[in-house]
Amino acid sequence: MSAKKVKNIGRLTILHLVYIILCLLALIPVIYVFTLSVSKGTGALSTGLLPKSITPDNYVRIFREEPFLQWLGNSVVLSVGTMILAMLTAVPAAYAYSRYRFKQRGTLLKSLLLLNAFPQILSMFAIFRLYKLLGLLNTRIGLIIVYAGSMCIFSIWNMKGYFDTIPVEIEEAARMDGATDLQTIAGIILPLARPAIIVTCVMVLIFVWNEYIFSTTFLLQEGQYSLAGGLYQLQSGDYSRSWPLFSAAAILVSVPILLVFFRIQKYMVSGLTAGGVKG
Amino acid sequence: MKKRILSLVLAATMAVGTLAGCGASAKGDQESEKGSGPVSLTVWHDGDEAIMKVIEDTANKELEADQISLKFEKKTGLTDQLKLYGSDEQNGPDMYLYAHDSLGTFAEMDILAPVTDFIAKEDEKDLIPMTVDACTYKGTQYQLPLYFESLLFMYNKDLWQGDVPDKTDDLLAYMEKHTDVQAGTYALLNQHSTAYNVAPIINGYGAEIISKDGKAGLDSEVYKEALAYNQKFAALQGDGDYNTIAQLFNEGKAQAIIGGPWLVSGIKDAGINLGIRSLSSFTLPNGKKLAPYSGVQGIGILKYAEDGKKEAIGKALKALMKPELGQELAKQSNCAPANNKSYEDQEVAANEMIMAIKETAETAQPMPNIPQMSVMWGPAEEMLAAVNKNGTAIDEAAKTFQQKAETAIKDMQ
Amino acid sequence: MNQNKRSKQWFYLTPSMILIGAIVIFPILYTGYISLTNMSLYHWKDFKVIGLANYGRALFKLDEGFLSALATTLLWTVVNMVLQIVAAFFIALGLNAPGMKLTRLYKTLLMVPWAMPSYVSILIWRVGIYNTDFGLLNKFRAALGLSRISYLAENVPAFLSCLVLNLWMAFPFMIMMFDAAMQSVDRSLLESASLDGAGFFMKVRYVLVPAIRPIMLPPIIMTAFTTFKQFDIFYLLTMQKGALTGSTLQTIITYAQQNAFVSNNYGLSSAVSMMIFVLICLFSLYSNRNIGREDEIG
Repeated sequence: MSAKKVKNIGRLTILHLVYIILCLLALIPVIYVFTLSVSKGTGALSTGLLPKSITPDNYVRIFREEPFLQWLGNSVVLSVGTMILAMLTAVPAAYAYSRYRFKQRGTLLKSLLLLNAFPQILSMFAIFRLYKLLGLLNTRIGLIIVYAGSMCIFSIWNMKGYFDTIPVEIEEAARMDGATDLQTIAGIILPLARPAIIVTCVMVLIFVWNEYIFSTTFLLQEGQYSLAGGLYQLQSGDYSRSWPLFSAAAILVSVPILLVFFRIQKYMVSGLTAGGVKG
Repeated sequence: MKKRILSLVLAATMAVGTLAGCGASAKGDQESEKGSGPVSLTVWHDGDEAIMKVIEDTANKELEADQISLKFEKKTGLTDQLKLYGSDEQNGPDMYLYAHDSLGTFAEMDILAPVTDFIAKEDEKDLIPMTVDACTYKGTQYQLPLYFESLLFMYNKDLWQGDVPDKTDDLLAYMEKHTDVQAGTYALLNQHSTAYNVAPIINGYGAEIISKDGKAGLDSEVYKEALAYNQKFAALQGDGDYNTIAQLFNEGKAQAIIGGPWLVSGIKDAGINLGIRSLSSFTLPNGKKLAPYSGVQGIGILKYAEDGKKEAIGKALKALMKPELGQELAKQSNCAPANNKSYEDQEVAANEMIMAIKETAETAQPMPNIPQMSVMWGPAEEMLAAVNKNGTAIDEAAKTFQQKAETAIKDMQ
Repeated sequence: MNQNKRSKQWFYLTPSMILIGAIVIFPILYTGYISLTNMSLYHWKDFKVIGLANYGRALFKLDEGFLSALATTLLWTVVNMVLQIVAAFFIALGLNAPGMKLTRLYKTLLMVPWAMPSYVSILIWRVGIYNTDFGLLNKFRAALGLSRISYLAENVPAFLSCLVLNLWMAFPFMIMMFDAAMQSVDRSLLESASLDGAGFFMKVRYVLVPAIRPIMLPPIIMTAFTTFKQFDIFYLLTMQKGALTGSTLQTIITYAQQNAFVSNNYGLSSAVSMMIFVLICLFSLYSNRNIGREDEIG
């Protein structure tokens, strides 16, 4: 074994140690939430990081007493719908801003950024009025449009920078071969920009997954709420506030997102480096 | 390449399909027929679902013959929701159930119909007068009172040593002896920086957060005295946050707590041997009694529901004010009914907590229901937090927050 | 081809413009319209246009309280961004080190804080970490024999508490973004950068940073705006009704909320919102004069 190899192993060990500590720091609050979620009702908050006794009661209660699966389904529909609508609008726009040099380009890009500075919560009243007029209140499509609109600017900006790094020559080569625009975007840009698109999608997903104000305001029946909306209802009542129950619900809401995170990791590598096209 | 395009097209088609589907499926359920035939009335609330269930079930049994049914739906942040939906006939509720203190706000917004449009005044002769007064704004009654609440002195019989004193000064002396803030064990806990929970002292001193004609009173001498007195208690009550104190009491780390009936289910679950005293049985140094606010939970009717559903709503209101409904509420949820006749039931009359609330409520003042009150909670609580937690001098805080309150009231116009 | 290109950009841009027009621009215009009316509790349905009177009143809101809120917000944004960028960069760099195993696991674990709805996290931190009686921090201090501290009662500790929480919540996105950016960089580049000696930092500085800069600039700018607008953390941690902690920390947004929205005077509060929006716009135009230039590089 060469000295270099030994050194390398040593360095990797230190790196691993650093990451284990980092992960622990990130996880302490979450571990605490988990501890609460498996504790019995009383005395839960007095326990430390490790539970005194373990009970699945809180989880069982949520499944039994709340329409949890229905909320989960709603969250999935809303997230997927928003993701599709946001991508259908933002990917072409990001592509245009990245590839076309038109006169208003700089102004438009900067305006988008400034528009994004308007606090979204102030828009509630205006959107309510608009929706009332259009009959979109109390519909999922209405909510999906609000979400997609709220994330559209972010998505455009987030992806544009990445699109810029894809050499335009690759595209031109494809065009020479007679590929249409759609073919170029679908066949070259999308795979090459995969990490950026995935991150953006995840961002949209998380936004929708965790949003509760619009969801509890624009949808009226409890059965239509998303998970975050339902959970918000669960904790908001001073009467029924039970930390162990609330914690269990918080864990349940987070698990699907974590599964998604874990699954997407392997798709995060850009088609660019994977294919080794970069020249 | 072809495969990719195909999948893209497929995804797009699916997206459109899903979206269209959602639009169609989420609608419905709201419309109910007008005129004859079954009528469904939607009631929004922001309270305990168990209590609402009792009301809903009892009233629906009564209304079955008339083919009227009530549907209670929980809406978090009810006041904000009603600001949006209160004039939206298509999506808004027919009625709501809420505490009476936001009544003035809704009445000024002109979204409520007077209760007397639906039932005659003499139908209400059995209701406790205080509750009807609380639901009346500028001479018009906008809510039908169902039950009422007030703060109570609740103590753990297994922990409290000796008798509960009758004077607040003696209570303070007891607290000094039995509190160890560093160890986290307390004699008496209160949300010492929440205006509603300090109101017993403020009102007892004869001070007012807001006067009847809408003037802020945070810098009056009596108000400052009340805060100085409350400060002595606050020093022995730790953080004073709602969750914290409820939890400490339930865990047996606090011997007593100032709280409302909403705490009871948690306390019972924790297996605490609960004793109850009315706050108005404690005497302040000035010789007056502690005077908590009372809150009346009542039904308000949205203006637009009046057309077409008038008759059904009238019947529903009558069912809701039956003494039997009050009795069910008392027995199942420890609520103090607004109907005097409900107390003729022996089990209700024997309920220690309900009788303590009733005793308090007869001397307590209803929370102000003028719209200006809604902007007073903020400055009043900030002032309490500044004094109790941030160490700001009372005179300085009084000046700052009185001015803030006056600006807030001025801003309403 | 050129001719073709010129018209096509609008075909690509239109869907997003419609969406943004309805959900972002329309509300701003509507807020502008309401700011010119006397809409309030007392004129809920019968409001009418009264001109610029609300702006005259809103000007008085821009007092020293507003200026200190502005200063707090700026400090908050700068400290947050610097810490996030520097730390996330090195965390992502390590994850991309050659020979590094288990990265999928680490990445997923590091993303965990992000998976929880933000208001849940904030409430959990308030009760579980910072609370004087139940918080882990005070339990830890008690175990060391130290006295209890009230973390949220005074402004400086409250600011730091909010900062730690915000970093905890924001790191996952930054790490993920840096990671994605580094994925786009040629492997060999990173490998050469990780070689021993003084060359490492030089290579990071002159090879890696320029390579990921165009990708990272947009998300960093977006995050800066989000940080600037942060409301939930301050509100839920220190000033939620019924749970005020005593700190008087204010940012622009909480200041606007306290000074305008509780009054239910929609005309006045819209005027305050519009003025703050315009101020933010002017401010960001001034501070980001060079965005345009960077943009042309790409």
